[in-house]
Amino acid sequence: MKGVSVIGVGMIPFGKYPDTNITDLGWPAVKAAIKDSGIDARRIRAVYSGTARGGAMVGQRIMGRLGLAGLPIVNVENACSSSSSAMAQGVMAVSSGAHDVVLVIGVEKLTKFGGGTLPLDEDDWEVRLGLTMPALYAMRAQRYMHDYGVSLKEVAGVPVKNRKNGALNPDAQMRKEVSVDEVLASRMIAAPFTLLQCCPTGDGAAAIILASNAVARELSTDPIEVRASHLTSGRFMSGFRDMTSPEITVRGARETFEESGLGPEDIDVAEVHDAFSIAELIYYEAFGFCPRGEGAALLNSGATSIGGRIPINPSGGLLAKGHPVGATGAAQVVEIVRQLRGQAGARQVEGAKVGMTHATGGGISGFDHGACSIHIFQR
Amino acid sequence: MAEAAAPLTRPHLCGDALEVDASGRAMLIGGRCADCRSETFPRVPVCASCMGETIRPQAMPREGTLYAFSVVHVAAKKWKKPMRIGYVDLPNGARVFTHLEGDDLAIGDTVEVDVGTVGEDEEGPITSFVFRKVKR
Repeated sequence: MKGVSVIGVGMIPFGKYPDTNITDLGWPAVKAAIKDSGIDARRIRAVYSGTARGGAMVGQRIMGRLGLAGLPIVNVENACSSSSSAMAQGVMAVSSGAHDVVLVIGVEKLTKFGGGTLPLDEDDWEVRLGLTMPALYAMRAQRYMHDYGVSLKEVAGVPVKNRKNGALNPDAQMRKEVSVDEVLASRMIAAPFTLLQCCPTGDGAAAIILASNAVARELSTDPIEVRASHLTSGRFMSGFRDMTSPEITVRGARETFEESGLGPEDIDVAEVHDAFSIAELIYYEAFGFCPRGEGAALLNSGATSIGGRIPINPSGGLLAKGHPVGATGAAQVVEIVRQLRGQAGARQVEGAKVGMTHATGGGISGFDHGACSIHIFQR
Repeated sequence: MAEAAAPLTRPHLCGDALEVDASGRAMLIGGRCADCRSETFPRVPVCASCMGETIRPQAMPREGTLYAFSVVHVAAKKWKKPMRIGYVDLPNGARVFTHLEGDDLAIGDTVEVDVGTVGEDEEGPITSFVFRKVKR
């Protein structure tokens, strides 16, 4: 197995681009990643392109627009983990020796659905009966608060922190800070979630260039090594399951740490899948940044703020940077690479050497989530 | 004289997963695997425990415990708002995603199945199984 490094990243600011088609959302991110890497675009040997709701052949459309098609292009759909799953395919392609330079794309246009909650597949039993993603996470939140005696005010601290970070990120969709009172007073979506506890709907694109370590040393002045690349699916459980501890991420985290020989104490900065306020607290616990039930205490201590022991979602996360679902995983990688290179500007986590990304999703009956992909990077 | 046409009845949203007897008593019908005996709701053509394909209809317990719920204000137009939904754990090990009725719900409540109207669209009311708190 060959070592793999990130040699270029790029993205467009997440936001609402109703008049731009998905192809034209995607190519500027690819061009930015190529420019960032400094390589000749013809060195790219294969493309892994993730989108959840973008339709067919999105990778070909984007590469065709840039005049770079004619190489293997694989389109990946894995709901909110689409581009993090594409990333895992790209890492595998390079580590196996099949290709020495590959491109990973994540792109999504959600404004085409005209607002409201993310459309889900009505073939699914629970979706047909009325389940929505906010309602699913809301049930997790209700149960979590019930089991651990955590108040909604404490849970609302997550969007407060992440909006503060997003205000420092020029690529974030939501750039205004909010207070706990504003979070709690915003419009009710699915109790206990008010609007500001839910990620916004929007559009975006991000791209990553990966190379074997040997090629990275030759082509790049500042490669960031991939220490772990993990992808799994949820386990189907038709009966009881504990909604306060996400089976897929707990198992994914354990396997990722085993693969890398690292542990939660080694992570300097992480981007985790905070689609809704409660999610971030649950993921602190799933990754072992704190014990079960102590997520709110960890947040309140300031440990997960920029400047704290383990800053989480310095980009603003899904809650502030935005969550154009298929673009999210790739954009998390962009953020962590910038953090490890020391290029994160006002939201820089000082001295960060090891960073992690985590994207999970897919609301289907009987699963905690459909897919989960975790990556660890080291400079 | 021609007989009056039978009234057109719209199937429940949940199809044959809900049976209502002549007295109006609702019962959920799930599946029971003939090979490994695991019981699931809803009934599906193959068993996720043993891949057996002989899954017989099985009446589910009528009462269960409310595991988690949400009162939902933003959802597709067809649903009655606020839409109360949740997971109910049945004593046979099945967990049921369901609409709920009543505004005094709490986690841990004992709830029982009934038939209810959960929404409305251009074809008229949408009916399905619902759970509501057992009053003792």
